[in-house]
Amino acid sequence: MKLAVYWTGSCGGCDVAFLELGPALLDLLPKLEIVFWPALVDAKRADLEKLPKHGIDVALVNGVLRTTENVEMAELLREKSRWLGAFGACAHLGGVPALANPGEGIAEVVFGPGFRPAPPLGEAPEDAPPELLPEALPLEEVVPVDFVVPGCPPPAGLIARFFAVALAEEIQPGQVFAAEKALCEECPRTREERRLARLVRPHEALADPTKCLLDQGMVCLGPVTRGGCAAACPKAGMPCTGCLGPTPKAGDPALAMLSALASLVRAGEEGEPAFPEEDRILEGLVDPLGTLYKYAFAKYGRPLRRLARRRQEVRA
Amino acid sequence: MPETRPRLGVFVCHCGKNIAGTVDVAKVAEIASRFPGVVYATHHEYMCSDPGQALLKRAIKEHRLTGVVVAACSPTMHEETFRRAAEEAGLNPYLLEIANIREQVSWVHSGPAATEKAVRVVRAIAEKVRGNRPLRPAEVGVTRRALVVGGGIAGIQAALDIANAGFEVILVERSPSIGGHMAQLSETFPTLDCSQCILTPKMVEVARHPRIRILAYSEVEEVSGFVGNYRVRIRKKPTYVDPAKCNLCGECAKVCPVRVPNEFDRGLSLRAAIYIPFPQAVPSTYTLDARNCLGLLPLCCGKCAEVCEAKAIDFDMHEEILEEEVGAIVLATGYELYPKEAMAEYGYGTVPDVIDGLEFERLLSASGPTRGEIRRPSDGKIPKEVVFIQCSGSRDPEHHKPYCSKICCMYTAKHALLYRHAVPDGQAYVFYIDIRAGGKDYEEFVNRAMAEERILYIRGKVAKVFREGEKVVVWGVDTLTGRRVEVRADLVVLAQAMVPSPGTEELARKLRVACGGEGFLKEAHPKLRPLEALTAGVFLAGAAQGPKDIPESVAQASGAAAKVVALLSQPKLAHAPEVAEVAEELCSGCGICAPQCPYGAIAVDEVARVNEVLCEGCGTCVAACPSGALTFRNVEDEQVLRMVRAALAEVEGVGV
Repeated sequence: MKLAVYWTGSCGGCDVAFLELGPALLDLLPKLEIVFWPALVDAKRADLEKLPKHGIDVALVNGVLRTTENVEMAELLREKSRWLGAFGACAHLGGVPALANPGEGIAEVVFGPGFRPAPPLGEAPEDAPPELLPEALPLEEVVPVDFVVPGCPPPAGLIARFFAVALAEEIQPGQVFAAEKALCEECPRTREERRLARLVRPHEALADPTKCLLDQGMVCLGPVTRGGCAAACPKAGMPCTGCLGPTPKAGDPALAMLSALASLVRAGEEGEPAFPEEDRILEGLVDPLGTLYKYAFAKYGRPLRRLARRRQEVRA
Repeated sequence: MPETRPRLGVFVCHCGKNIAGTVDVAKVAEIASRFPGVVYATHHEYMCSDPGQALLKRAIKEHRLTGVVVAACSPTMHEETFRRAAEEAGLNPYLLEIANIREQVSWVHSGPAATEKAVRVVRAIAEKVRGNRPLRPAEVGVTRRALVVGGGIAGIQAALDIANAGFEVILVERSPSIGGHMAQLSETFPTLDCSQCILTPKMVEVARHPRIRILAYSEVEEVSGFVGNYRVRIRKKPTYVDPAKCNLCGECAKVCPVRVPNEFDRGLSLRAAIYIPFPQAVPSTYTLDARNCLGLLPLCCGKCAEVCEAKAIDFDMHEEILEEEVGAIVLATGYELYPKEAMAEYGYGTVPDVIDGLEFERLLSASGPTRGEIRRPSDGKIPKEVVFIQCSGSRDPEHHKPYCSKICCMYTAKHALLYRHAVPDGQAYVFYIDIRAGGKDYEEFVNRAMAEERILYIRGKVAKVFREGEKVVVWGVDTLTGRRVEVRADLVVLAQAMVPSPGTEELARKLRVACGGEGFLKEAHPKLRPLEALTAGVFLAGAAQGPKDIPESVAQASGAAAKVVALLSQPKLAHAPEVAEVAEELCSGCGICAPQCPYGAIAVDEVARVNEVLCEGCGTCVAACPSGALTFRNVEDEQVLRMVRAALAEVEGVGV
C-alpha cells in the first residue's frame, strides 16, 4: 500500500503516534510503501508533484489548515491520492490550534511581525513565508475527506484498526475510525444518581478513583464524545476533553454538553422558581470555550463567530 | 425519514370569521397548493363540522393522501377530532397535524401580515408532516384496584365511591384510626350538624365494606410503576394489639402507668401508652404506642397484657412491609394547622390560654376533654371574654403564609356562636381582615353570628398577644374607626393557617407528583383538571390540594373517585405514542437523561430505556441527551430544523 503522511499546522504528535503501535509496527511496515512522509523520510513538494494522479493509495493528513501553503498541499495530496483521510483532531475538527479562531486577528498579532524573517535592507523578501488564512480550518473545509482517524493523537488501537481496514481495502466513504457510542460505554467508572452540585477543574480536586468524574463535578466530555480510546483519560483520573470528536448525532458537542450540564444542575428540581445558587454552579465552568470546544471549534464554532461578528457590527 | 413521494393535503379552516375575518384563507390554500409534496389544498368554513370532516375524509381517499395539515385552531381543541376522521379514512392519525392559525395568527395579528404568517405556519407544519412517521399508541393492561392515601373525610368518600362502583380499594391511614380532622370537630358550619354524627356512619360503612381494605397505622413507603400498573410498598407499623381479639374493654388503658398528651385532643388531655384515639375509631381496636410504652423492650412492665382477658396483646408483633398492585392512586393526605409556635406576635405558643382552632373544637366537643364545657387550659375556668383572631398565619406573605386558608372565617363564626351558646354571659370578639363567606348559606351564617349572638367583629389585625396575670391581653387596631383596641381576654383562639399535613412533599416525591410553592399537591390544570396530578393515574382529593372545607373536600373526593372508576373501567389503557425514544445503537448509557424525567419513565442499565407508557412526551431528556441518542418521535431534530427553515423562508404572493 502506497502511503503518504503529511503534517500541516501540527504539533508533530500525530506523526509520533504511529510508534505507539509498538512491535505491531514491525509487521506493518513491510506492507507499506512510504511515498511521502516528510517527518520520516526526506521528500519535497516537487517529489509529490511528480507523482501521477492516484500515485498514493492512502494519504493521511494531520494538522489544521493554517496557511495558504497548507491548503495547497492538501489539494495536491487530494489530487494524488485514492483515499485521503484526516488523521488526528486538528485535521478532523480544527483541534487546539483553532482555539485561536475566536480572537479576531490573533494569529496576525502573534505570527505577523514576530516570525517573518527580516528582508535584507531595502529589499523585498525573496521567499516570503506563506500567508496566514483568516482562520484555522479542518481539512474537510478545503478538500473532500474520505475518512477520519480521530484523536489527539489517535490512540494506537484506532490506528491499528485503520491499517487493518485500509490494507484489506475496506475503507467505507465517510468512515470514522472510532466508536459510534459515547465514551461512557467504555468507561469503567461507576455513576450514581446524576446531579451536579458543583463544578471543579481537574487540578482543584483529587478524583475518587472509581466514581464517575462528571458526578464529581469535573466537566468530562465523555457523554458527548465518541468512544474508541478505552476511556484512557478517565481511567487516569482526568476528564475526557473530547479529542475523538462528537458522537454521530450529537451535533455541536459544546452545545450538547452545555445542555447536558445545565440539565444536570437542574435535575430533580420542580421548576418555576429560579435558584440563583444553582445557576452559580455553571459559573464554575471556567473557560467554557476552551473546555467544551477544545478540539472542535473550527468545525462547529463558526456560527458562534458569525454571531459575535454580527454583534460587533450592531454595536459599531 | 420516509420521503418516498409524499402526497400532502392542506385544509384551511375559516372558523367562521374567527380566522377568515383576518386571514385570507383562500390565498393560504392557493399558496399551500404549491408547497413541496402538496397535492391537494382547499379551504372550508368550519373544518370541525360534519361536512368539513367529510371533506377531509373524502380527500384523503380520493387523492391518496399520505399526510394532512389542517390549518385551524389550537391542537388542544380539535387535533383529536381530525385525527379520528383521518383514521376513519384509512390514514394513520399521527400523519395529520394541526397548523394553529387562529390562536397564534388571526386572533393576535391583523392586516396582510396575518395571511403571511398563516402561510409560514402552514408551510412549517407541512414540513413536519413530511417527516412524520406513522405511529401506533402503546397499550397496557389495568390493575383493577385503587389505593387511597389518607383516611380523612376526603379519603373515606373517595374509597366508598370507588368501592361502591365495584372496585377494590386499599385505604392507607397513617394514624391508628381513620376519620381525620373531621372526627375532632364539634359541629360543622353552617348547619351545626354534629361532625362525628355525620362522619361515623361513613366510617362504619368503610369498615364493613367488602371491597375496602383499611391499612391503618401504615404509610406508603415506595411507589413504582405507572398508570394502571402501580406497585406500592406499604409499611404497616405494629399495633401490638390483635384487632380481631380486642373487645374494647379498656382495662389495659386503666392499668397502663404511662400518661402522655392525647393527640386526638390536641394535647388538652392525657392518654395511656395503650389507647384508642376515640370510641368510634375504625379499625375498632386499641393501639400500643411503642414509643411511650415502658414494657415493650425490655419487657419490664406488661401490665396491659396481664389484664387483657381477650389475650389480644402481642408484644412480638413486627412491622410488616406489604407489596400491593393498584391501577390508580388517590392522594387525600389532608392538612395540619400552621403551628402556633411559629406566631411570634402571639406568644410563640407559650401562653397556655392562647389556643388554635382545633383545640377549641376539642373544648366544644361533647366527647372532648371538658365534655363540651368551655374551660380554658391554664386553670379550667370558664372564660368570659374570648378573642378570636382570624388569618393567624394566613394572608401574611411577609411573615407567614401568603394564601387565604379559606375556612377560617366560617369556623371562627361557628366557634364564636357556639361559645355564646355555651357561655351566654360571655363576650366574643373576632378580629378579621375581611369576611370571606362564599358558599351556600355561609354569608347568612356569619350574619346570624354577628346579629343574633352579638359577637363583636373588629376589622383589623392583632399586633400582639401577651399574658398579664390571669388575663391574656390582646393589642389590636380597629381599622374602621382607626383606634387602637385592647382586650383583656380570658382566652384567645387563633384561626391558624392550613398547611399540608407533614410528609406531603415526601409522599409527593415518591409519586413524582408536583407540590406548589406552599407544599400543597399540584393539580394538572387549575381549571380544567383540578382532580388529577400531572402523573397519570394519580388523583387528588381534599385539603392536601389546597385549603377547603368539608363539602368541597367531599365533592372533590367524589370527583376523583369518578376519575378513578373511569380509569379502572378501561379494558386497556392506550398511551399517546408521541414520546421519547432511545436509539440504542447510539446510547452509551451515560445516564444524564434519567434524573431529568419528571415521570420516572427512564431506566438506565447498559443503555437508557424509555417506558413508553410512563413517558408524557415533555422532551426534557431529549434536550439533555449529549450524544443525540434520545429523540422525540415525530419531532426529530431534522424535522424541527426543516420547520424553522420553512417558517423563515420568503413568502411570495401575499403582498405585504
